[in-house]
Amino acid sequence: MAALLELSEVTVQFGGVVAVDRVSLTLDPGEIMALIGPNGAGKTTLFNAIAGNVPVTGGKICFRGREIQNLPVHGIAGCGIRRTFQNGGLFPDLSVIENVLVGLHTAVASRFFGLVLGGVGARRSEREATVRVRALLDQVRLAAIADRPARGLSGGQQRMVEIVRAVAGLPPVLLLDEPAVGLAPPVRAELANLVRRLARENGIGVLLIEHAIELVMRVADRVIVLSEGSKVADGAPEAVRADHAVLEAYLGHG
Amino acid sequence: MAEVQTVSRRVFWLVPLALLPLPLLLNPYQLFVAELVLMYVPVGVGFNVVVGNLGLFAFSNVAYFGIGAYVSGILMARFGLPWWLSVLPAGLAGALAGLITSIPALRGVRLFYLAIMTLAFGELMRWVYIRWEPLTGGSMGMSVPEPTLFGWPLDGARKFYVLLALAVAVVTTTDRLLASRFGRAFMAIRGNEIAAAAMGIPTGRFIVAGFAWGGFVVSIGGTMYAALIGHLSPDSFNLTELVLEFAIIMVGGLGSLLGSVLGAALLTTLPQFFMSLPGSEELAFGLLIILVILFLPRGLASLLAQLHPIFQDRYLRE
Repeated sequence: MAALLELSEVTVQFGGVVAVDRVSLTLDPGEIMALIGPNGAGKTTLFNAIAGNVPVTGGKICFRGREIQNLPVHGIAGCGIRRTFQNGGLFPDLSVIENVLVGLHTAVASRFFGLVLGGVGARRSEREATVRVRALLDQVRLAAIADRPARGLSGGQQRMVEIVRAVAGLPPVLLLDEPAVGLAPPVRAELANLVRRLARENGIGVLLIEHAIELVMRVADRVIVLSEGSKVADGAPEAVRADHAVLEAYLGHG
Repeated sequence: MAEVQTVSRRVFWLVPLALLPLPLLLNPYQLFVAELVLMYVPVGVGFNVVVGNLGLFAFSNVAYFGIGAYVSGILMARFGLPWWLSVLPAGLAGALAGLITSIPALRGVRLFYLAIMTLAFGELMRWVYIRWEPLTGGSMGMSVPEPTLFGWPLDGARKFYVLLALAVAVVTTTDRLLASRFGRAFMAIRGNEIAAAAMGIPTGRFIVAGFAWGGFVVSIGGTMYAALIGHLSPDSFNLTELVLEFAIIMVGGLGSLLGSVLGAALLTTLPQFFMSLPGSEELAFGLLIILVILFLPRGLASLLAQLHPIFQDRYLRE
């Protein structure tokens, strides 16, 4: 059976700069894979390549055996690969519940003419989506802020809402770009639990970029280390922590 | 809160009901002004979908308005169609114009580049009205036959009720659209286009949909213009008209459906009070815009929202 997400020799080049250099990896359902490395290692560029935000110069990205590297961003998202953004990807003028409803965009079946003419089916599918999102927000204890606009939320709340929005439709693959940045330790622990639960209970394959090493060690099943665009280590968290090449990538030559 | 909103929003149906006795209470001129307000409701609503909800600086609104008026007028004057049969074709022509004007936005043109390109479309349409003389009457304009509805002349109270029904239909259908995944997609595109695409929204398709709906709705306003004014001239669809239409959504509240209606009502009726003092009309108009931008940047709709939660428009957030 084909892997959930498989990258083979993926290269991303901007002019003469090779940002991602022949990176290969395989993500399975329910697996949490962390992607670490110093700043400028190419982690976010690799995310952008998977999500279709930057063109892949070489190699292949397959989702359940199907090549996706030439699909538009919304097409890749439609396949079931959802992501969060490093610098706040919420829609500021929409409320929390509306933000999460946008995450369910492809799952809501209402059509243009059905909506305009007030069709029963269109109204029902909109109502069902709203009920589903309210239940979801209740589950992750965000119900109290459901109707607040996203612009007024704290940093921690924004991160949580963004993750909930990304997983609302239970996508097979979730890409989390530095979700713990700026979060207080208790919120980080809550975040780690949420990510683990999503992977274990719903079989979501999670690819996680994170600088907070303690979070990575707590949640990841596997860690991949990137340095200057290339993969320098790949293995279980403890093994990677002890790897000489990793220390070198982070601390430089001693 | 959402439940409260759904229930309380039904109260808005009282507004058109309260307007029903107007033909009995107003003199013919006052009734004409009320009909002008009804005409500017779709003009503001459609403009606001593109500028306020989609967040795109597209200023071809006056072109859709003119296209609606001219298509309606030409179908009546040259092809002998009754007015009511010209409404849908005129709306569809406006939707097509919306689709065409969305092309620069689809190519990634934004901000003032988009503003200039779409303004140019409005001016291009004026050139068409002037040059396509056999159909449009050229720079002298054209007279539109008396509008009829199922053979009955559309005048007096009847005209008011038909225009009221059209305005209500436009507001209701646009409200449904904005409350759905379409409205959320528009606002998502306005907020963060990259993130919107990452949620599976084909942003290009929704930009086209927003422009086409805007064009359709504004052109309905154009058909109302043809029925109300009876004479079409290229000068009626110039930049001054565009400034008035922009003022309607700015003063009412960008992105707010309620704001479009309030703006249409205020900016159509206000000049009537200054008519006796020549020149003061423009002064009052300019002052109003400056005051609103300074003290109510989110428009009159935001002021009402503070008065009572019922007026809290879906996408007007402080």
